[in-house]
Amino acid sequence: MNNAIESINLTKYYDDLLAVDHINFEVKKGEIFGFLGPNGAGKTTTIRMLTSLTKPSEGTAKIFGHNIQSETLDAKRYVGIVPEISNVYDDLSAWDNLMFTGELYQVRKAEREKRAKELLEMFGLYDRRNDKTKGFSKGMKRRLTISMGLINNPQLLFLDEPTSGLDVQSALIIKDVVRELNQKGVTIFLTTHNIEEANVTCDRVAIINKGKIAAIDTPEKLKKTIQSVQSVEVAFDNASPKIMKELENISLVNEVRKEGDKFRLYTHDPTSVLEGLWEYAKTNNLKPISLNTLGPSLEDVFVRLTGMNVKAERRNFDE
Amino acid sequence: MNKNRFSASRLKADLNASWAIAKKDMRIYYIKPGTLMFGVLFPLFMFLSFAVGKNAPAATLIPGLISITILFSASSIGPMVIPTERRVKTFERLLSAPISFYSIILGKTLGGFLFSLAIGVIPLFIGLIWFGTQIISLLGLILGLALPAFCFATLGIMFASFPTENPGDIMMLLNIVRLPLIFISGLYIPIESLPDWGQVVAMFSPLTYANDLVRYALEGRTNYGPALDSIVLLLFTAAFLFIGVRLDKKFRK
Repeated sequence: MNNAIESINLTKYYDDLLAVDHINFEVKKGEIFGFLGPNGAGKTTTIRMLTSLTKPSEGTAKIFGHNIQSETLDAKRYVGIVPEISNVYDDLSAWDNLMFTGELYQVRKAEREKRAKELLEMFGLYDRRNDKTKGFSKGMKRRLTISMGLINNPQLLFLDEPTSGLDVQSALIIKDVVRELNQKGVTIFLTTHNIEEANVTCDRVAIINKGKIAAIDTPEKLKKTIQSVQSVEVAFDNASPKIMKELENISLVNEVRKEGDKFRLYTHDPTSVLEGLWEYAKTNNLKPISLNTLGPSLEDVFVRLTGMNVKAERRNFDE
Repeated sequence: MNKNRFSASRLKADLNASWAIAKKDMRIYYIKPGTLMFGVLFPLFMFLSFAVGKNAPAATLIPGLISITILFSASSIGPMVIPTERRVKTFERLLSAPISFYSIILGKTLGGFLFSLAIGVIPLFIGLIWFGTQIISLLGLILGLALPAFCFATLGIMFASFPTENPGDIMMLLNIVRLPLIFISGLYIPIESLPDWGQVVAMFSPLTYANDLVRYALEGRTNYGPALDSIVLLLFTAAFLFIGVRLDKKFRK
């Protein structure tokens, strides 16, 4: 048995709405597996089914070989869950939150005390262990939620948007711990809106859209599927944002996006665009201060597969 | 093959988890303003508003005060705790743990049970110390406190199965049931003084049997007998639990 998760035709209807449409995938033991998709694509429903919070309408899944429906409690025993919302008990201290979670998972007293101390130290919360968590910052609550997800030494950790909206310190601690856990053999199932985070963290990613798996592979292999989407990134020392329209008129440029102080020109022929760009800069007396040619990013793959058109969505929003 | 089967080790794990949930609820929710309001002050003032001015010896009012206190305190915990936990998503923490759903229900019921025992003995001690109340049957008293406390705790859990995140929604529904119960269960007007239709309606109220049991323990008077009172209270408890679990399955898709 090499799979931590095996999803077999997993399906969920909410009345007539098909939220998850017969999805099949495996997560191998020891992998960091990213689960990406736009809002409403079926990510959370899939996690809720895998963690037995929601009953599948059709199909099933196995967690380390245990069927989530017929062997629910055995399947749950292997799992640690960190939901998108930090669900700690505000009226309990950090220590008591961990002790309670340990009791729910039948961790013996001596073991849960030892483990709680380790986790609080690992997440930089040990000095605040006796404080009620209602006084904790968002980042501290997030770190405590992850600690609670780890109190039972799970072999599989579900992380739902672990670093979303966090301060830099908390995000870095969490990323380090995730990497460390994975090195110790813990399988990580990660959902995130931060595609760059998935790109640098995950061994494989699945992209889910409208309830179906649109693609599943390693980030680099996914990028290779859209080699036609390449780009030239340029920053000028004195350019106004208004030049975007003019950059779009350069021959063979398909689209221009402004990214901070840089402009990204999408094309299937970066060499020709570079020539056109050079001409444009000379004619308009602009001085390039950085210039890069880039391959497709995981975000490009995501946009392509989910059919997300940022410009069109923005237009709709403005209207 | 379904392997979610019963075993002694699983039962032990579930009971430990239930106790952990009950302890946690006691620490967090017992002193919340909403709990004290609906579980302690509300029954006290309800009772006083009807009892004060009546020409009855104070001692005869004590069994009714105990019954009404147990009804309100036991049935208030579930409706306070469960919607609140739904709102802050901690209820999902319980649902995702490797314990059975019955273990969670038992933990929540224990919370209401212990709370109402602690509150229910207060009018008992007041009666014993200041109003000459006597204990005629100790076993009857233990049953008269414990069985209604458990029964009304499951009544609260049953109502808390409605999928709302606002405790007020449940309290409103619950009061539609609780308030009429106190008028048809022989607390203010003895059952035998009710008209025939009133006596029939009273038989469908669990508070009738709770009050009858406490009256038997403290006054030696009973309409149905302690054995029948106990059996009917157990049947109500089983029915509330069954309906609560069914409602939860229906609403939690």
